[in-house]
Amino acid sequence: MRKVYLTLAMSLLLSSTAWAHFQMLYTPESALATGTTIDLREVFTHPFADEHTMDMGAQHDSKDVSPVEAFYVINKEKKRDLLTTLEQITWAGAHNSAIAYKSQYKAQRMGDHLFVLQPAPYYEAGEDIYIQQITKMIVNVAGAPTDWDSELGLKAEIVPLTKPYSIWTGSTFTGIVKSNGKPVPFAEVEVEYLNRAVNLATNAMGSSYVEAPQDSFITIGIKADANGQFTFGLPRAGWWGFCALGAGSDTQYKGKELSQDAVIWVQVHDMK
Amino acid sequence: MKKQICTLVVALTLVADNALAHTALMSCFDEGDGTITCEGGFSDGSSASGVEFLLMQNGKTVLKTKLTEYSEVNFKKPTGAYQAVFNAGEGHKVYVEGKDIIE
Repeated sequence: MRKVYLTLAMSLLLSSTAWAHFQMLYTPESALATGTTIDLREVFTHPFADEHTMDMGAQHDSKDVSPVEAFYVINKEKKRDLLTTLEQITWAGAHNSAIAYKSQYKAQRMGDHLFVLQPAPYYEAGEDIYIQQITKMIVNVAGAPTDWDSELGLKAEIVPLTKPYSIWTGSTFTGIVKSNGKPVPFAEVEVEYLNRAVNLATNAMGSSYVEAPQDSFITIGIKADANGQFTFGLPRAGWWGFCALGAGSDTQYKGKELSQDAVIWVQVHDMK
Repeated sequence: MKKQICTLVVALTLVADNALAHTALMSCFDEGDGTITCEGGFSDGSSASGVEFLLMQNGKTVLKTKLTEYSEVNFKKPTGAYQAVFNAGEGHKVYVEGKDIIE
């Protein structure tokens, strides 16, 4: 019997490591009819299965987390620093709680508000590596496109070719994986659906929307082409995350391997 | 002569296509200092600089101006009901009611 429990525990551990980490940069609605103040949540999680939430900026040599390295927004080519708007919170996932952040932003002006979040590298003890996910998310006010397709020349970046906030259910998203402005050929891209109702009032994940028929549907692995470009069909309304693994130019942090990833979030809407 | 007419027709067709292919957009907000800012634009991302802007009260035009090089206009918040109008031509007008403009 003990062997059975051990085997089960090992299976769960192995499954856990197979599921993808995603830096979430969440707001309820990315396509705003008019300007308004929006709530944001910055959480390092597994958006589909929610089996574990990570302390953002956790380090192998300290009990303290390292602060977010950069958080800013670009609207009509003007960059505004948002680091001081971050407030540390405890985020409750389905199975554990972890250090995350919340913030508010006045999305007042028309056009695209392109958010970039660069957390400190996170130490993943299970793999003895660090993971840093440079994350983009775009909110649009009143439909005028301004900055959504900007190439920022980040160390790891997904440049969208589809507006990330105006995608119908059943349509597609296309992006190019880049590092320091150059395409990353055949980049490995993981795709996950935010499969949980997000409760902003309690800073917690709610119940799941769908069940995966098999583990390969939880984190869907695809590859970019020779030009770093990929396209993915989006079958359900809600938020979808794309993560290009190890696309960044930094490969070491504190003497350990670093996976510097590029993440972008897109929101899909039903035709009603 | 025939060549000139053809060129003119092609040019007019291109202008018409360009005007029809995109949607006129406007968004306004209260600056909180007694003024309102309205921003105009088009769904293809093109500039609205120079587009006519009207401020209407009781069916009368109380302000007629053009959007700046930044595709926006700032004006003193009127007392009472008013309507902001982005006038990019027939079929390309956007109306925003003053009561819907918030900080």
